[in-house]
Amino acid sequence: MSQTSVQSTLSHQTAEGALPVAKRAFRFDKSFLGILPFLGLIGYFFFYPLAVVFNESIHDSHHHLTASAYKALFGGDYRNAFIGSFELAAYSMAISAIIGALICWAVVKTQGHARKLIIAAAGVLTSTGGIPLAFSFIAAFGQEGLVTKILLNVFHWDIYGGAFDIYNFWGILLVYCFFQAPLMVIIFIPAVENLKVEWQEANETLGGSRIAYLRFVVIPVLAPAFISSCLLLFASGFSAYATAAAMSNGTIPLVPLLIGNLVNGEVLADQANQGDALAMGMIIVCVLVFGLYALVMRVSRRK
Amino acid sequence: MKRTLGWSDRIILIAAGFFFITPFLAAAEYSLRGYGGKGHTFANYTWILHQLGFGPALLTSLRIAGVSVLLLLFLMIPTVVYVQLGGRRWARLIEILCLLPIVIPVVSLAIGAQVAMPKRLQSTSYELCFFYVIICMPYVYRTLNTGLQAIALPTLVEASSSLGATPVKTLVLVIIPAIRSATLGAAFITFAISMGEYALAVLLHFHTLPTWATNAAQENLYGSVAISIGSLFSVWFLLVLFSYLPAIKGALQNKKVKVI
Repeated sequence: MSQTSVQSTLSHQTAEGALPVAKRAFRFDKSFLGILPFLGLIGYFFFYPLAVVFNESIHDSHHHLTASAYKALFGGDYRNAFIGSFELAAYSMAISAIIGALICWAVVKTQGHARKLIIAAAGVLTSTGGIPLAFSFIAAFGQEGLVTKILLNVFHWDIYGGAFDIYNFWGILLVYCFFQAPLMVIIFIPAVENLKVEWQEANETLGGSRIAYLRFVVIPVLAPAFISSCLLLFASGFSAYATAAAMSNGTIPLVPLLIGNLVNGEVLADQANQGDALAMGMIIVCVLVFGLYALVMRVSRRK
Repeated sequence: MKRTLGWSDRIILIAAGFFFITPFLAAAEYSLRGYGGKGHTFANYTWILHQLGFGPALLTSLRIAGVSVLLLLFLMIPTVVYVQLGGRRWARLIEILCLLPIVIPVVSLAIGAQVAMPKRLQSTSYELCFFYVIICMPYVYRTLNTGLQAIALPTLVEASSSLGATPVKTLVLVIIPAIRSATLGAAFITFAISMGEYALAVLLHFHTLPTWATNAAQENLYGSVAISIGSLFSVWFLLVLFSYLPAIKGALQNKKVKVI
């Protein structure tokens, strides 16, 4: 008797409690329908191809499960390509971050039209990268380019005297800086704008020097934004393809170029899944970098 | 105390302006050089027009870019409106999903697309439209979202439906006109990215304007530089023309997102 009463109260309770739950679940389903086209498109044209890449990367040509393609990433050409891409991303990140930060520092002190113009120009430079940028630089900094000639004849500086060539690593680095530095301006400027003039005044009232202002105010305030901007630049430099492809014909050891070569059919039969493993390697690096980015943003927000 | 421009700031800005403008001026000069580097003519520009591949490549690019713009607006405007009106709980999910195309390298997507997409789709260059929709989605989402936040969306929708308009009518006759500058900004950024995209086009073996330009470079570097300068300057010209619309500026600044 007591058992049934307990049961009945239980069932009563669940029946009572279940109603809103059921209602919620129903509403959940309906509101889900509204974003279904979006989910369908991004699912089929984004997640599905990536899933295929992952699946192919862990199978050999006989459909056997294997990690050999991943092991190969740690040796020979593939290892060199990862090192090359890391170096290119790191160098272009370091140079562009410093140039971009300096420009931000100066831009926030301008007003009105000048500032709008600079920010618009930076936006344009970052978004018109790729092929046109590559050819423009080949023309300007090539052996016969105007910039090369002016530097040689007016400043007596032969840029081809050392390791530089517009078609090698250093040439690509130069071009990368030209779209990475404006990118830095765009993503770093909100942080610099948040530096309050009052802080500088407070520093002066308290007798602090310019160096003290930099050391105790500017650097601690800007550090998180600077680091996270650097991470974005790194990811952007690491995964860029078009510029490097146009400038080197795929001969410089960089991961995106190597993937491009493999896709274009320069594959041996036993390496069928090597391109997929390389692509997965790139995805892993980029996801790690963005994970770090999210972490820095979260930590800086908590402060 | 106002922030003032010191001499060091002026030097930085002038030097930066100089370094960023010079290569393009030098390239423009290069593109105007005559045969064998002698004199200056428009010969390289007319050379482009006489190439058999140029017309079809330009048309393909324009067609793909146009379809991408339509497809993306057709998909994203209703989705973003829906999320703002009733599907708020999905806003976070959509934001995260829209971030991923920026994180994942396009080259990786291309290698997957080559295997994953059905043959029938791969045989037409319209395949690229779908991937351009994915690539542009982050910027378009942000632009449209900002545009919609600036208007009194629920009030407009209520007023419209109480006057007897169907949801579709409300969308077309009320909401889209209210966010037309954001829509135009989204369309512009999609068009610009689609016209210039190279990695997917070349890896999926389609002949668009950028892939044509790289092939032409092997034959005539002057011609390739000319087409690069031509396309850069025309995009910049369009941007200056459009820059009076605030949404375009917003879209450009959003291009490389302030993430999360």
